[in-house]
Amino acid sequence: MLLIECPWCGPRAETEFSYGGEAGITRPRDPDALSDAEWADYLFCRSNPRGNHRELWNHAHGCRRWFGVERDTVTYRISRSFELYPAAVPETDAALQSGPDNSNGGD
Amino acid sequence: MSESTSRRHVETGVLENRGFLNLRLDPHKEKAVKAAEQILGQAVPLVSNTYGSGEHRVYWLGPDEWLIETDAGDVVALENELAMALAGSSAAINDVSGGYVALRIVGADARTVLAKGCTLDLHPPEFRPGRCARTRLARTTILLAADGEPDSYTIIAARSFTDYLRRWLAHAAEK
Repeated sequence: MLLIECPWCGPRAETEFSYGGEAGITRPRDPDALSDAEWADYLFCRSNPRGNHRELWNHAHGCRRWFGVERDTVTYRISRSFELYPAAVPETDAALQSGPDNSNGGD
Repeated sequence: MSESTSRRHVETGVLENRGFLNLRLDPHKEKAVKAAEQILGQAVPLVSNTYGSGEHRVYWLGPDEWLIETDAGDVVALENELAMALAGSSAAINDVSGGYVALRIVGADARTVLAKGCTLDLHPPEFRPGRCARTRLARTTILLAADGEPDSYTIIAARSFTDYLRRWLAHAAEK
């Protein structure tokens, strides 16, 4: 059982959450302009790293908010959680694409 | 409150005539928050996992979402007043009374019984009066709140799960 830190609710049991896959995948602005290979890459291809992984979680049975988690895929150790939309006006792409060292989220 | 007693020192029952409103509001919009607070006659809690008591109970559900528990007879009037006060703001107020039931579990063993199906740390320093949390109890999703009186908790659950939850609580209290 993972103990996951929700940015709003604090540490909660894994059973309260649902997993949302890799973080930072941005939907292409103009899908019609993509080749089939590029579209397939957006839809299906993920980095699947050995080690540090930025991923999305939803506190489904808690505050129902999406947030980001950095987890080591080998040890399962979670190093930090962060808000995806810390500003009142969400800047989706910027919040997702900027690196974890950026001051976008609280730990 | 209709009551059932058991071997454990605990009583559970349904709180009758409770109504519920769901409030969505951007907490950064001070004007809207103030307008809601004026109608409610009490503060909208901005701290995670807390609730405010007064004429109503206002539970924090998320950073921009609250559940207002009040007398069933007052729900429609309160909904209308809030809708008028929040008109023009990015806000939503919805009557969700049909979806929820409030239960109360009271007694020296209440925490022990709840702990059988809940992963939260329910010990008083952590989960003290004024605290609430949406969490899981016995595989259902609930809103759990520590009441002002010691050893007393309020459970707000989906209406369709209430019968199951009451049976589960009764069973948990027998062992």
